[in-house]
Amino acid sequence: MKIVIRDLEIWYNSIKALSNISLEIVDGELTFVIGPNGAGKSTLLKAISLIVPPKWGVIYIDGRDVKLYSVRELAKTIAYVAPHISRSIPSTVLDYLMTARYPYTSFLQFKEDKTDLEVIDKVSRQMNIIHLLNRRLDQLSSGELQRVVIARALTQQPKIILLDEPSAFLDLRYRLEILEHIKNITRTENLITIIAIHDLYLASLYADKIILLSNGSIAACGNVEEVLKEEVIERIYGVRVELLEVKGKRIILPVEPLTLSTPQQNT
Amino acid sequence: MALELYRISMRRFLTVFSSLSIVLLFMFVLSLSVGSTMVNPIEVFNKLLHSLIYKAVNTLGIPHVLKPVIETDRVYSVATLRLGRTIAAISTGALLGVAGLLMQTATRNPLAEPYILGLSSTALTTIAIGIILVPNIMIHKWALTTIAFIGALLGFVLTILLSRLAGGTSISLVLSGIAINALFSGISHTLLYVVQNTIRMHYVFLLMGSTSTILLNDTIFLILPFAAGTTASLLLFKILNTFLYGDEYAKQFGYSPSLVLIIISAIASVLTASTVATVGIVGFVGLAAPHISRLLVGTDHRFSLPITAMIGAMITTIADVVVRIISLLSAGLGELPLGVITSTIGAPFLAYLIIKRMKGHEDSY
Repeated sequence: MKIVIRDLEIWYNSIKALSNISLEIVDGELTFVIGPNGAGKSTLLKAISLIVPPKWGVIYIDGRDVKLYSVRELAKTIAYVAPHISRSIPSTVLDYLMTARYPYTSFLQFKEDKTDLEVIDKVSRQMNIIHLLNRRLDQLSSGELQRVVIARALTQQPKIILLDEPSAFLDLRYRLEILEHIKNITRTENLITIIAIHDLYLASLYADKIILLSNGSIAACGNVEEVLKEEVIERIYGVRVELLEVKGKRIILPVEPLTLSTPQQNT
Repeated sequence: MALELYRISMRRFLTVFSSLSIVLLFMFVLSLSVGSTMVNPIEVFNKLLHSLIYKAVNTLGIPHVLKPVIETDRVYSVATLRLGRTIAAISTGALLGVAGLLMQTATRNPLAEPYILGLSSTALTTIAIGIILVPNIMIHKWALTTIAFIGALLGFVLTILLSRLAGGTSISLVLSGIAINALFSGISHTLLYVVQNTIRMHYVFLLMGSTSTILLNDTIFLILPFAAGTTASLLLFKILNTFLYGDEYAKQFGYSPSLVLIIISAIASVLTASTVATVGIVGFVGLAAPHISRLLVGTDHRFSLPITAMIGAMITTIADVVVRIISLLSAGLGELPLGVITSTIGAPFLAYLIIKRMKGHEDSY
């Protein structure tokens, strides 16, 4: 499986959010999207999952234009995880996860299949939320909620997982544990996983490929060594960074904001 | 674990459903018995059951030795006289409950309700305009309901637009509703005052709702919209369930948020309009019923829709009985409107919800 993006351009009313995006993303790899606030990370993920319509350009999944996929096919193929979901009328975690199985049942099917509930069971165990299934969404801590929304994506059993800031509220252990888990299933089930993230440390630890966005276009793209260079990060983010070598991986450490030269990105 | 929990929620639904059915039947019989002429509820139940079985057996053509129903029997005739208003009260509550639930899901706002968001008063306004333009529209109930539907839908659209202008928060939706409601209450009040000779009834009954003038034949204008609206909403339960978690979430499953909003609003408007055209404005039922139902069976619309309808029906039936008891005790002229009672019960409930919501829940929408 492969995602190919050609000359993508996206506008929100009169504001250009993304332009000139051409990419190829392959399966079995973790692709991280990084960039300053407002660089277009979320927009890129939403464009791939067809939540935001492109103005120009085409997205191909497996060589086929995404617009030609039926909604059901698309729902079985792609799961986009937003950092927040609406909880103003809070359901239980189980009710929430059950909606993720809808693409697999017919529209009028009133009773859930046993297999659907077994999938929920399996994923809940992996994400360590099995004890939360009966809780209401508004009774969860931010970290618990974050695991629940990721579990929803996995329950959907998609080929493509798009995670928008999956680690913001997780503690140290869960950050590593969940990314480790996502890496494992990406490898074993040959998924395409794209993660938009602020934490450059996690990106350098887990990324197979990094896309660096700035002002709505690609500033750098490639493997970790190619993108996470001192001068690139300093130029785009406007911070002074130091590079560390830990266990053969290159770790970026932001040290202080650059004040001498004005940062290129300003939001 | 998931399977177990699923079975538990299934069982809970069935338990709640059957216990509410029994309570509702009890209230139905009670409502037939209470009024200016009191009759024994047990006798009413027996006679009704007898007549029901007798008619069923007769239409099926089964040979039997049952005695025919005595139509002139005192208990039987008093009960059948109250049948129209009782069915009207039950269906009004069910209609408004389901309308409230749909609106709460559509706006993802637990404070949404046909009366609070101004649908009821805009529906009444268009009815009043209709009566002024074509006076004999009063006898064409379907036309009246259609006009009320247009009014209700316009009211919903106006409120949503106004609240989006005001930032689209949950409180701004309620405030916009109050503004629309106040404006169109005033307009409809004035217009109905002008035409009260044509409608030949005290127009307060339309403003605050009353079942006292409803005949058995009129209940069809409540029962049919209820059956159609509730069936349609039940068929859409998956859309409604995904809609709870946000526009982007629903979109991932291929449900266009704006189209869904239009469909749900239309159904909610039909339900509201039929009650306004037949019974008048009855407030706050659509607020309380969905909350109680979610407390009992959760948010899954497969379960919450039927339970909400039943709880709404119970609220209005109690209110209708209370109306009659008050008029008996006070020996006043005529009856209190139904909407007075539901507002008295419902408004404190709204206050409670606002307090609960303002305390720390604002981040969660």
